[in-house]
Amino acid sequence: MAMRQTPLTCSGHTRPVVDLAFSGITPYGYFLISACKDGKPMLRQGDTGDWIGTFLGHKGAVWGATLNKDATKAATAAADFTAKVWDAVSGDELMTLAHKHIVKTVDFTQDSNYLLTGGQDKLLRIYDLNKPEAEPKEISGHTSGIKKALWCSEDKQILSADDKTVRLWDHATMTEVKSLNFNMSVSSMEYIPEGEILVITYGRSIAFHSAVSLDPIKSFEAPATINSASLHPEKEFLVAGGEDFKLYKYDYNSGEELESYKGHFGPIHCVRFSPDGELYASGSEDGTLRLWQTVVGKTYGLWKCVLPEEDSGELAKPKIGFPETTEEEIEEIATENSDCIYPSAPDVKA
Amino acid sequence: MQTPVTIPVPVLRLPRGPDGFSRGFAPDGRRAPLRPEVPEIQARPIAQESPEFQEQRARAALRERYLRSLLAMVGRQVSFTLHEGVRVAAHFGATDLDVANFYVSQLQTPIGVQAEALLRCSDIISYTFKP
Repeated sequence: MAMRQTPLTCSGHTRPVVDLAFSGITPYGYFLISACKDGKPMLRQGDTGDWIGTFLGHKGAVWGATLNKDATKAATAAADFTAKVWDAVSGDELMTLAHKHIVKTVDFTQDSNYLLTGGQDKLLRIYDLNKPEAEPKEISGHTSGIKKALWCSEDKQILSADDKTVRLWDHATMTEVKSLNFNMSVSSMEYIPEGEILVITYGRSIAFHSAVSLDPIKSFEAPATINSASLHPEKEFLVAGGEDFKLYKYDYNSGEELESYKGHFGPIHCVRFSPDGELYASGSEDGTLRLWQTVVGKTYGLWKCVLPEEDSGELAKPKIGFPETTEEEIEEIATENSDCIYPSAPDVKA
Repeated sequence: MQTPVTIPVPVLRLPRGPDGFSRGFAPDGRRAPLRPEVPEIQARPIAQESPEFQEQRARAALRERYLRSLLAMVGRQVSFTLHEGVRVAAHFGATDLDVANFYVSQLQTPIGVQAEALLRCSDIISYTFKP
């Protein structure tokens, strides 16, 4: 019997989810942060989607969110003209970095010592997180609002995208090295360190460039306008989502469309593979995050493979185990909030 | 057009969502060893308490209020609304430990007054009294 993808819906946000990011793989698993127009970014366990906490403090829509490699710190970019740095273990706000306009993007260096920000004021800023009172270093040059800014080449260079250009900057000299021009609005950018690949989406195109030279490698056309795409860590697949509410999965080598999934009730704004490549997450205008399996039917996270012998003939819909029987199974996917002994819906007690 | 029969991948459960009353980041969560030492002065009492403690305190307060309301009812005239639109009045005596039965006296029923009676809690929809 062929298996059908069961996406896991993570609810909690009340407005569109506009950005999401995974941490690296830590001794506690990996984590996921989502940026939402409701101003309340959330941290979740990456492999299950379980909510861990909400970062409270921003006074406007949060446009960008990121985690550092070991998920001990989070950074968010918001419409309240600030970027904030958070302790991702306690949820406490560590720093508020004032800007002169809406901040759209934030990125930590590998060592978490510096934070790169970019936004509508068209400036790239580099903050030394060990000296929060010091003025940030500023890089100017963009002629329209910056949508995405990323460290690359072991934090020695910076990649930034505005509406129609992608620029490469040298960190040490703070000068532009190279730029790419597009005649359509760039919707997203992803940097893959292993192989120095840059994934850029614009219009219906998903393009791959060298992050070092910005030279094009290949590009694919999707059936609809794409807002975000992500390349699998092993570079076998890529996933993309956009205005037609669907998620597309392509073979990276051949460009063949392998799968398309319906599920979201609004345009998809962001999509990212997990650091182990076993799942990908999508954030949508419908206010939800959904987790999708890379290999459909594999036992991973909350998905449980059912072998033919176990088929009782009643597999018309996903089996949701009762809390009593799944305690042991939940052992390895225990969440940050130690609430395993409580049922998911509070019982009404007299 | 025939589509192949497929089974949706089974799941253990759905992802847990926000608890609705706290910002999360349980102090006794799995990553507790990574927590920075918070100095006493900066500690915010509400954020330090885990959601379970808060819920337990709320439950305890509500339970105490209910038990005190039962004490206040002793000896008073109480009117009970039962199933099928039946209303009766009685003098309240006591409840048992599990609040499964109400001991009442002078129970006024449509077919007469019962000197002593036991009302099953499961039969009672609501009751009201003036203290």
